[in-house]
Parts: sequence; structure tokens; C-alpha cells
Amino acid sequence: MSTTTIDQLRDTELSYRMFLAAGAIAVFSFIAFFGLVFPESIWADLLGILISRSTLSSALRLAVPITFAALGGIFAEKAGVINIGLEGLLIISAFTAVITTAVIGPGVTILGLPAIWVGFFAGVLASLAFSLIFAVVCIRFKADQIIAGLAVWLIALGLAPFAATVYYGGVNTDNVGTTLGTWTIPVLSDIPFFGALFDAGPAVYMMLIAVPASWFVLNRTAFGRHIRASGENPKALDTVGVDVSRVRYAGVLLSGFLSGIGGSALSLGLGQFIGNNQTMVNGKGFIAIVAYLFGNYNPLGAFGASFLFAGLEAVQIRLQQVPGYAIPDSLIQTIPYITVIVILALVGRTRIPQAAGEHYDTGEDNR
Amino acid sequence: MSTAVHLDEITKRFPGVVANDDVDLTVERGTVHALLGENGAGKTTLMNILYGLYEPTEGTVYVDGEPRDFDSPADAIEAGVGMIHQHFMLVDPMTVAENIVLGNEPRKWFGTTVDRERARQEVIDLSQRYGFDVNPDDTIEDVSVGVQQRVEILKALYRGAEILILDEPTAVLTPQEVEELFEVFEELTAQGKTIIFISHKLGEAMHAADDITVLRDGKNVGTVKADETSNEELAELMVGREVLLEPKSAHREPGKQVLSVENVHADDNRGIEAVSDVSFDIREGEVFGIAGVDGNGQSQLVETITGLREPTSGQITYKGRDITRASRRSRIEDGMAYIPEDRHERGLVMDFDLVQNGILGSQHSSKFSSGGSIDWSTARGHAERIISEYDVRPPHADADAESFSGGNQQKFIVGREFEREPDFVVATHPTRGVDIGAMEFIHERLLDLRQQGKAVLLISSKLDEVQGLSDRLGVMHDGELMDIVDPRNTTEEEIGLLMAGERPGWSDTEIDTANPSVGDAQ
Repeated sequence: MSTTTIDQLRDTELSYRMFLAAGAIAVFSFIAFFGLVFPESIWADLLGILISRSTLSSALRLAVPITFAALGGIFAEKAGVINIGLEGLLIISAFTAVITTAVIGPGVTILGLPAIWVGFFAGVLASLAFSLIFAVVCIRFKADQIIAGLAVWLIALGLAPFAATVYYGGVNTDNVGTTLGTWTIPVLSDIPFFGALFDAGPAVYMMLIAVPASWFVLNRTAFGRHIRASGENPKALDTVGVDVSRVRYAGVLLSGFLSGIGGSALSLGLGQFIGNNQTMVNGKGFIAIVAYLFGNYNPLGAFGASFLFAGLEAVQIRLQQVPGYAIPDSLIQTIPYITVIVILALVGRTRIPQAAGEHYDTGEDNR
Repeated sequence: MSTAVHLDEITKRFPGVVANDDVDLTVERGTVHALLGENGAGKTTLMNILYGLYEPTEGTVYVDGEPRDFDSPADAIEAGVGMIHQHFMLVDPMTVAENIVLGNEPRKWFGTTVDRERARQEVIDLSQRYGFDVNPDDTIEDVSVGVQQRVEILKALYRGAEILILDEPTAVLTPQEVEELFEVFEELTAQGKTIIFISHKLGEAMHAADDITVLRDGKNVGTVKADETSNEELAELMVGREVLLEPKSAHREPGKQVLSVENVHADDNRGIEAVSDVSFDIREGEVFGIAGVDGNGQSQLVETITGLREPTSGQITYKGRDITRASRRSRIEDGMAYIPEDRHERGLVMDFDLVQNGILGSQHSSKFSSGGSIDWSTARGHAERIISEYDVRPPHADADAESFSGGNQQKFIVGREFEREPDFVVATHPTRGVDIGAMEFIHERLLDLRQQGKAVLLISSKLDEVQGLSDRLGVMHDGELMDIVDPRNTTEEEIGLLMAGERPGWSDTEIDTANPSVGDAQ
């Protein structure tokens, strides 16, 4: 009986993937067909946007904070700590990166490092510090992870604009007048369309390295296996002599480190921190959670989902510029959330780590 | 023969409890040693001391003749002691090989990466050496419980264990898997390993062990050689008095029909038909048993009767009323009691105390509530009465359900259900995980209910239990009720064949299939 269950599971997984692929191809061919047949229609405009190099370029740029936060979320949750505070980590690192660069003064270098890179690492450190507090509260003091995660978000959401107000008199920082810029690889960047991959900001390259690296760490190293075991059955890990708390701290700190890169890259890509309403992060941390659930905790899948969501946003931004087709961006922004509801409710393929969200007691000396 | 383990005058005190009292235990190398005793006799505590999970209050642990002071399981593993817990410590979505090497992964590329090929090969070598049939690439959640247990044993062997402790290893296994496990024991001891296993089943200890040590109330009450003792002697050692091993089943004339199940079909959670066209009836003063290997539709059948699952077709009549689609609450209020198969999932709320658990299912009853609020002092009295009558230990009504051992949880559930003064009891594996003293008690209570003219539906995977207690016995295989037999005039082999899905030729047996109520024809 168990074999039939497995076969069924594999069947649904396969058909689900084929369904997604077929759907994507169908949508694209639909657009391509009508775009080519009716050159004056919306389809032609859409096709133009889809195959334009600048759309790919901005999709990659927009995917950076989502991808890094998603990778971080994977490490934390695989280790058994649900880090719902990714949004907060992005906010605090985005703000710290800009304010540090501004305080040092653009153009100044410290130990040969330009101010903007010092700011970048300061942002990562701020995110690490926040995630350390979160980890201590959740692991050492066994607080509810969801509430602690919301606290991380709300504190960052209040703190960053407040600090900006103290320093600048408004919730937005001034523009530091410099950005991370782009690193262009000669020759390769001349390739049509895909050249965008080789003419991008440094954070895009980091992302393209971090995604396979995360996959490798999770699936091929002993540390990665300990992370997975810690989120599935911490007791199994404990009884073979691996310290569960240490593994969980490592998982949460990695989520802080990775989200920090995402947040710093977000604000320094623009040179400014925007603190209005939901700040410039504007839900990217939550979309990251959606992305890794969509990707079933696989870094490659999470990147695919992040890129899809970022791509939709890029298309939407480009569409705004085409007269007559302004689609409200708030409508586009609901797409990731609708996707996750469909994925979780109808497809049910995502396998949440069994012990995620649960505190672990070693069980010694209590009876 | 040398001594592998010697425990010298071990005493372990917990606040308010002496779990082990001056226990001596000697285990020879290359033998199988059974640690037998009722729930709460201190077996697991003693083994946790040997495994370094607890430190003894007094006494010394000797392994290979040397005194040891284990601070943690890591120290015990270092000394060659491995333990397989009752609940497996495996990571479900990982493979067999990944689980076995977890924490001790072979590395390559300067220690950065797990050498998966070597891990796999080492697991293959290890399982071949001990004649284990496991595939290193299978995922744990896809393999049977028996295989999972072998993975646990391999995990201990991989870490160099010479002495293996198994805590109630047979509790989760099918009879065939139990046999296979005992064959594994032989293979391991033939290669010089020493095995200590905890059990409360006499038959197993007699069958698989060379030596048997019986613990009672934390004391060693005797170590005997398996081939020089008898079931009766062991039972007496365990309980401290003479025990009735065979349930007495005085016959009573059944009365009018209480429950009738007609052509019921039901699906399992995956939507696959699990119950196919099952019909039977139960009368007052009758125990109707259902035998069968676990997973042949018994669970789904019981769920349709108790109101936890809607049948896809068919009709269930209770006390003359069609209850096929009646709510669970109305069935409880109509005098239907239910001892569920999974006490964690359906029997108790683990983080409620016994006072709260004691009124589950009766929370609407006017006995405990008035005007929407619960009368907690009555509820407390109720829980305390169950605790004392059903000998739930320790007798703390305020303790959370999860702090009790499985056997005591089961006694509490049985007590709660019987205290409803039901007209009809559905008892699924009522004695699973309880010691023989409690088993005897639960059996007596079931027969008492029958004497009082109540109807009982008894589902158990223990054939001797259903056969000994039932007046009529239905056998299920693959969702079908193969046959209804008179358990007193049918041999174990005949029932076994039915359980395996084979219908013996009608003429060869005494079974009257045309008349399902053959039991009362005598």
C-alpha cells in the first residue's frame, strides 16, 4: 500500500511541474503569436517588453533582495526556526547601509574600502545583530517564533524611519550620491538579451553565486544535513551528539547574513533609503517567504520563484510607461500572495519541516 | 564468557520517586538479555543510566569490567554502548544512508563536503556484514517500521556499538517483523555483540532471550535463564502474585440487537476504498471481535461506527435508529464509548491535565456543566475516581497527560470510557502498550460489561486477545470481512489463513457462514 502512495505523490509532483511548464510556454506562445500577428495590439507591446534586455536587467535587480531573504529564510526554517522577520532584517540593513555610507561620506575610503562598501557590510552586520537577538529570544528563551519574528519586523519598521527623522528631519534619507553601480564584463555583455546577465550590479553576481552555493551547503555538506535534521527531528540530531541549539543559531544567523546582503543591495542600488509607509522594502521580505514556500525550500526553486515575482514587477513597471495600459501596481503585487495560496491550498506540494516552529528541549533531567 | 555490562547496586531517585532501588544486573558478552517488568518498574530508567542519559544517585556502572562514569550518551557511545529508543530517532525525509551516518559523516575535499559514495558503501558493507536487508537510498518515510528499526540498529553499529540496548523493540512491529528482529538478534550475538532489550511481554522474553531479569517497583526481583523458567513463574515475579494469563470467558445468552452494520463501504484518507461491503451485528451481552493484520480497514470501519468517518455507502443502525450520518456527539450521548486506537491522536489531549482529559466527550453532560461553564470540582472528583479505580500511576490528577507512561495513559482512557456507563463499547487495541497486570484488569472489565448486558466491539491485532474474549469473531482482510467464526471452535491457523485473505474450503471447517451468529447456537 505504501508504494502506491509514493507513486501517487511522484505522479502529482510530476504533473504539477509539467503543468507549470506547459502553462508558462502556453502563455508565452499566446503572447508571441498575437504579438506577431497583430503588431499594433497590446500583445505586441507585451512581447516587446518580455524580450527586451532592460526587462531582464531590472528583473534581476528586483530579484536580489527577495532572493537573498528567501535563501536566508530557507536556512532558518530548515533548521527549525521560522523567521517571519525577514522583512525587518531587510529594512534594518537597507537603512544601516545608507546611513553608514552617508556618515562616512561618499568618496572616503576606510582601509582601502570605499565608503559605500563599508556601508554595505555595516548593513549586513546590522541584520546579523537583529537576527542574533531574534535567535536568542527564540532558542535560548523559547519565545514564540512568529511573535518574535513580527516584533523584528515592527521594530525595524519603526526604528529605521525614526532614526532617519532624527538625522535628516524626514523619514527618507538624503541620496548619498553614489550607488553600487554596475560591473560590466566585456564581450559577454554584448550578447543580445542575455547580455544583461553580464552587465549588472555586484549584488546580482552575488545572488547568482549565492543560490547554487546555498543549494550545495544544504545538500552536500554535513552542516547542511545537520540543518535539515534539526528542522525535521532535532532529537535524532541530539542523540547522535550534535548540538541542536548551535545548529539553529547558525541557521538563524545565516538568515540574518543573507537578508543583510539583500537589504544593503536594495538601498545602495538606489543610493537612498525611503522610509514612507512600508519603507522601500515594501513587503519584499514577505514575498521572500512566499518564494521559498513556492520553491519548496529548495534554493534553486526559491530563486526561480523570486525571479518570477520580480519579473512580473519588472513587466508591470515597463507597462506603466506604455500609454494606455497602466496596470495598477497594487494589483500586480497581489500576484505572489495569490500564487502561494494556490500552491499551498490546491497543490499541497510544499513540505514544511516537521519540527519548524517547535522549541527543542534536550529532555535530560526532566521527568 | 566475559561480562559485558555489570550494574552494581544502582539506585536512582527522582524527586518523590525511587525509580531504581539497589539494582544489580550482569549481562554476559554475546548473549541476549531481556529486562522484563510492568510499566513503571524502572526498566527504561535503568537503561537510560547505562546509556548516560541519567546519572545514578548511587552505584556504579561497569562496562567491559571497568567502572564508567557517563555524563552523556556521547560517553556511552564512546564506550561501545548504543541505545535504540522506543520512538525512533530518524529524520523522515532523509535516506537510510544519510540517517545512519548523521553526525559522523565521512568527508571529502578537506572536510567541506560529505563523501556520499563512501557513506553509501559503508552502509552497504555494514548491512551485508550483519545480513540486514536495507536499501541505503530509500527514504525513511517510505520504508516500513521494521526497516526503520533496522536502520536504528545500523546507526548504533556504525558508531561502533558492542552493546545494544533496545527499549520495547517489538511494540511497533508486526508478528513477522518481530520474528525478523529476533533473527537479527541471533546474527548479532553470533558476531559477539551483546543485546539488552526491554519488554513487558513474557512470550518474547522467553522466545528471544538467553537470560531474563525481572524488575518490579524498581527492584531486581530475579534473574533467570530463559530455558529454565516458565510463563507462570515470570508472570508471578513481574506482578508479585499469581496471574490469570488466559482470560475467562463465561458464556452468556445474547439479547436484542444493539448495532447493525449493513453493506458499509468507506474510503481511507487518500480516497481509496478501505472498507468493502462489511455487514455484521452485535447484540446485548456480546463481545464481537474483529481480527486482522493492522491496516486492513479495521480503523476505517471503526471510524464509520464511531462517527469519525462518513461511509461512502451502506447503513449503520444503533439501538434501532439509523445513525449512518449522526454526529459524534449524539452517538456519545446515546451511550457509545470509544477506546481509540491512537491514544496520542484521539484519546487524550497531551497538554491537558487528567482533570480536563477526564471529561473529554462528556463536557456537555449535565453531570459536569451547567449554563455553559464546567464544574471543575466535580470534574476533579471524576478524574481522581478513574485514577484510583484504574490504578493510574503516579496518581496526580493535575499532571499533564503527556507526563504519564503509555500504559498509564491507556488505563486512564479505558477508565474514562467505561465510567460513561455505556451501552456499547468500541474498544480498539484496548491493551496496546499496557503491562500484564493492567491487561488482565481491562479484560476483566470488558467481560464485566458483557455480563451486565452491554455490547462490545473489540478490535485487536493480538489474536489471542480477540480469540479469548470474543463470542463471535470477524476476520478482516483488505477491507473485506472474510468470515465470522466461532472463536472457540476455530484454530489459530484457520483464523491466520483468513487474515491472510484465504478462505478455506467450506466443507473442511466447522464454520457456518450462512448463519453469522453461530456463536450463540450452542
